[in-house]
Amino acid sequence: MPRLTIDGKVVDVREGAYVLEAARKAGVEIPALCNHEALEPWGGCRLCMVDVTFEHWDGWYKAVAACLYPVAEGLIVETRTERVTNARKVVLDLLLARCPDTPLIQRLAEEHGITQTSFARNPEQTDCILCGLCTRVCDHLGISAISMVDRGIGREVAPPFKEPPPDCIGCLACAEICPTDHIDYTSTHSRREIWGKSFEMLRCKTCGKAHITVAQADFFADRNGVPRSYFETCDDCKRKAHADIFERLGTGP
Amino acid sequence: MAELSPCTDMAPVDDILGTYPREEASLIQVLQDVQRVYNYLPCEALTRVSEVLGVPLAKVFSVSTFYKAFSIEPQGRVTVKVCMGTACHIRGAPQLVDELTRTLGIAPGETSEDLEFTLKTVNCVGACAMAPVMIVGDAYHGNAMPAKVSSYLGKKGVTDEN
Ligand code: SF4
Ligand code: FES
Ligand code: FES
Repeated sequence: MPRLTIDGKVVDVREGAYVLEAARKAGVEIPALCNHEALEPWGGCRLCMVDVTFEHWDGWYKAVAACLYPVAEGLIVETRTERVTNARKVVLDLLLARCPDTPLIQRLAEEHGITQTSFARNPEQTDCILCGLCTRVCDHLGISAISMVDRGIGREVAPPFKEPPPDCIGCLACAEICPTDHIDYTSTHSRREIWGKSFEMLRCKTCGKAHITVAQADFFADRNGVPRSYFETCDDCKRKAHADIFERLGTGP
Repeated sequence: MAELSPCTDMAPVDDILGTYPREEASLIQVLQDVQRVYNYLPCEALTRVSEVLGVPLAKVFSVSTFYKAFSIEPQGRVTVKVCMGTACHIRGAPQLVDELTRTLGIAPGETSEDLEFTLKTVNCVGACAMAPVMIVGDAYHGNAMPAKVSSYLGKKGVTDEN
């Protein structure tokens, strides 16, 4: 287990972890926008910059993205140096220029002493910070219905041809992981709409709750070889059914 | 090759796909070949590429829109590029663009309705000594003059007004 020092705190962390995880274990907060524990780190937002060094580096420091920098024995991490703070400020200043009306960005910027961007405000309103969490979670699920489209200032998250995505199953993983709630959807007892596509809902046989889309049930039944009947009841009711069985066993003769 | 009716004739795409291994790593080469044949990437072609290589359509679309070498809109038979690099810019490239826009009736990035010309601006083509430079198809025109724009459009080879 590598032992490292983060802002003077000594912490042991599992082999193969990245600095961000170690910092969380040490109780040191590092802001991070494009990181999610369920996904591979990506290093896209650059908000998690920290300084790292080793005893034998003779006072040299290197600025790295904490979410992508592997831990090592004897690593010394500084998260509050002037250089680190300045790097974060630049990132937040730019993000605030892109998303001036997005509460999450406003809050983070304010925490770093920025109330107004020093760049020109983006004339096109958007809450998307291009963190890539939505497209990566979609890939991770093996669906890949949406992706990053175009480049430069035109870059955006979109389905192929910017039309309702054929591969989308309406799981809402993208909308739920989005840190800024940029992805719109509606979901009722009967239908769900996302990315311009409309889905029929599957209702729980026991409680009637619309728990997943028919397309989701079909997809997972087909891909994971789960019997289609598995999806007829919702997770809550399944849990309840199991609990009932255990209760009966527990109070049995 | 613009005579091909791209939205119906997918045979060239299948020919191209036949020459590469059916794997994700072939994607860019296949797209380059498709772009060469059609002068753009027709949406049917992207769908076919996605199916045959087993790469999600969203990924294919992402790559197709990322690289400048690819276009998802039909392109003119001839691409007219005006260099907007620093040297060309200060030596009158914007006036060349204005003149071209007037002559062809299209703004940079657009294609004329007859699919003859696509107008593009580029950044430094490495011929700053002859700035401003405009390129019609493969023909470079140095020290280009707005008054001569129409004549460049019909010319082959290299010209230099100096
Ligand atoms: S839509 Fe949300 S999750 Fe997707 S890139 Fe934009 S901010 Fe990130
Ligand atoms: S969280 Fe590390 S770069 Fe985004
Ligand atoms: S700036 Fe036009 S060729 Fe260099």
